[in-house]
Amino acid sequence: MSARDTILGMLRAALGPHRPDRAAIAAEAAALLADPALIRPALAAEDPVEAFAARVVSPKVNATLDRIGALAGLPAAVGRYLAAQGLAPEITVQPDPVLRALDWTGFAVRETALPDEAVALGRARWGIAETGSLVFESGPETAVLNHFLPLHHLVAVAAGDILPYLEDHAAVMGAAPRNLNLITGASGTTDIEGSYVRGAHGPRFLHILLIGP
Amino acid sequence: MKVDLSFKGVTGRAIADRRLKTAIDRTTMTAETKRRLALMDYPQFEAARARGTAIKDHVVANLDHYLEEFERNAVASGAVVHWAATAEEACGIVVGLCRQAGARHVTRAKSMLGEEIGLPHALEAADIERVETDLAEHIIQLAKEAPSHIVWPALHKTREEVAELFRVAHGRPQDSEDVPAMVESARRQLRSLFLGADVGISGANFLLADTGGVCTVTNEGNAELTTTPPRMHIVTAGIEKLVPSLPHAYALLRLLVRSATGADITQYTTFHTGPKRAGDRDGPEEFHIVLVDNGRSRMLATGLRDMLRCIRCGACMNHCVVYRQIGGHAYGATYPGPMGAVLTPALEGVEKTRDLPHACTLNGRCQEVCPVGIPLPTLLRGWRDTSWKEGLVPGSVRAGLWAWRFVAERPRLYRLATAAAVRAMRLFGRRGWIAGMPGAGGWTDYRDLPAPAGRTFMEQLRDRKTGR
Repeated sequence: MSARDTILGMLRAALGPHRPDRAAIAAEAAALLADPALIRPALAAEDPVEAFAARVVSPKVNATLDRIGALAGLPAAVGRYLAAQGLAPEITVQPDPVLRALDWTGFAVRETALPDEAVALGRARWGIAETGSLVFESGPETAVLNHFLPLHHLVAVAAGDILPYLEDHAAVMGAAPRNLNLITGASGTTDIEGSYVRGAHGPRFLHILLIGP
Repeated sequence: MKVDLSFKGVTGRAIADRRLKTAIDRTTMTAETKRRLALMDYPQFEAARARGTAIKDHVVANLDHYLEEFERNAVASGAVVHWAATAEEACGIVVGLCRQAGARHVTRAKSMLGEEIGLPHALEAADIERVETDLAEHIIQLAKEAPSHIVWPALHKTREEVAELFRVAHGRPQDSEDVPAMVESARRQLRSLFLGADVGISGANFLLADTGGVCTVTNEGNAELTTTPPRMHIVTAGIEKLVPSLPHAYALLRLLVRSATGADITQYTTFHTGPKRAGDRDGPEEFHIVLVDNGRSRMLATGLRDMLRCIRCGACMNHCVVYRQIGGHAYGATYPGPMGAVLTPALEGVEKTRDLPHACTLNGRCQEVCPVGIPLPTLLRGWRDTSWKEGLVPGSVRAGLWAWRFVAERPRLYRLATAAAVRAMRLFGRRGWIAGMPGAGGWTDYRDLPAPAGRTFMEQLRDRKTGR
C-alpha cells in the first residue's frame, strides 16, 4: 500500500463512517468566513489610504513614506530619497511597464537586482491598510528577488490600490500567482537575545512612495 | 564522573545554569510583554480565537477531503506532491530529490517539521552540504546544537556566545555589544550561499487546499531567498497544516503572529504556488511538496485531536513556568514546553517520555494563551493517565499513592494521621515557616514551607460548630 493510501486510510478510520458531503463541507468552510468584522482589528483611520499611511510609519512597520500627487513625480521622489541617504543614482527598476514608462534621465537603471544590490524600486499591486502590507504578484513584470536582495527597498503603490483588510485582498485577487508576497516593513530579526535588528537577510530600509491625492 | 542523563539529571543541571536562565528570560519576557501589548490593540482576539479554533477543527474533521483537494490543485499548478507516512519515508524522499537534482549545496529555511523528521541529520548522512539560513538556525548549526524553542531556536545562546561562534565561522572579529554588526556579518556570510544553492528546502505554515499553495512566514526574508534562486524547491509539511482557502489562512495568521512575536503580521508572508512559469523572471524549475503524517493520523484516532489544531506559535512555552526554568533542551525532543510535552509522547512513545507530561504544574497558563484554544493541561493529564494505566509509574510513587488512598478512605485514620502530622510539623517551624524537615528536602532546599496552623481544618471546624 502506498503512503498516500495508508495516511488517507488511517484518517478515514479515525473520522468514522458518517461524513458530510462536498457541498456540506464547502458550506461550512464558507460559514467560517462570515462576519469578518468580528475578528479583525480597527483601522488606524476611517479612510483606508489614511490608515495605510499612518500604519506604515508607525513603529509596527517602521517604513518611511513619501506621498506624491502623481506617478510622473516618482523619479524625482526616488532621487530625493537617494540624495538624502547619500546614495548614487543607480537603481534596479522592476520591469514593470508603468515604472519603465517614466522618465529615468539622470539614473543608471538596471532590470535585475545585483546579488549585493543597494537600491531596488518596485510597484506593489496592492497595499493593505490593516497591516501596512505591500502585495506583489510574481510574473514576467515582477521578479521575486527584486524585493529581497536590495539594502534599500523602494516601493510605489497607488492610493487607489489600497485595500482596507486582508480579507479584501483575498476577495480581489484573481488566479494565484507563482509567488504572492506580502511585504510588511524591512527585514528584521530578534534571534539574538530577542533584540530587534533590521536588515537580517533582506532589505534594511523600506521606503514607500504613495501615489495619488 | 558519570553524567546523569535522566530527566531529573538534565533539568537539575539546567536549573543550576544561571547563564541559561538569563538567556531564557531575555527572550521569553520580551515575547510575553509584546504579546500582551499586541492583544491590547486587538480586542477582537477572543472572537478570533474562537474562529481560528473552528477553522482548524473543521479542517481536521475533513482532513482526508482537504488533502485530496490540495493534492489535486497543487498538481494542477505544476507541483509534484509526495506522501510520507513516517519520518524515515519523508527524509528518504527529500534526500532522493536532492540526489536527483545532483545537489551538493542545499539551503534550508527553518521548519520545525524538518527538525521533527530529522532532516538535517539525513542530509548530513547523505553527504549533502546543508546551509541553515534562518539566523537562529545558523547559530545553532555553527554550535552543532538542537533548537531550544520553536520560534527562537537559539534562545539559549547569549550574545557573547554568538559573537564567539561568528568570530570563528565568519573569520571576522565580532563585538558582542554590537548585535546589529553581528547580524550584518551573518548577512554577508550567507548571501552568496543563498544564490549558489542547488536546492532550497522550506516548511509550510499553511497549505491552501483551493489553490495548492504553500504559505511561509518569516521576518528575515530568508525563506524567499532560500526558495527562489535554486533549481528546485522542496516543501516538507505536516498534514495538519491545511486550510480551505486564503481568507482562512489570513484569519489564522492574525492569531499566529500576535501570539508568537507580538507583531500583527510577519514582515514576509509568501504564498508559493507551483514552479517557475513561462516568462517568470525567477523561481525554481521544480516544486516538490512532501506531505508528512509521522503520527498525526494516529493522534486523531487516540484522543489527541485537539492537538492537531496547533499552529506552532510558541506562546505556551513563553508563558510556561517550567519551560522558563529549564529551557528547551531539557525536554530532550524537537518540541519543548507544554505543546512539546503533549506531542513528544505521541511521536516517540510515552514509555521513553513519561517524565514530560509530569513536568507540569497544571497552572493552565498555556491554555489561556493558546490562540487555538488547545486544552493542553487536559491533554497532559491524559498522558499521566496513560502512563499510570500502562504501569509506567515507578513503584515508589505507586506505593505512596496506595498508602495515601488507604488512609484517605478511612476518615478516622485520616484525622488521626493529619492531626499527628500537623503537630509534628510545627516542631520544625520558626516564625511560621519551616526551613528544613526530615523527608522534605525536595521542597525546603529551594524555599521555605509555611508551618501549619495549630490544628487541622477538621478540628477547627468541629470547634466552630460546637461554639468553642
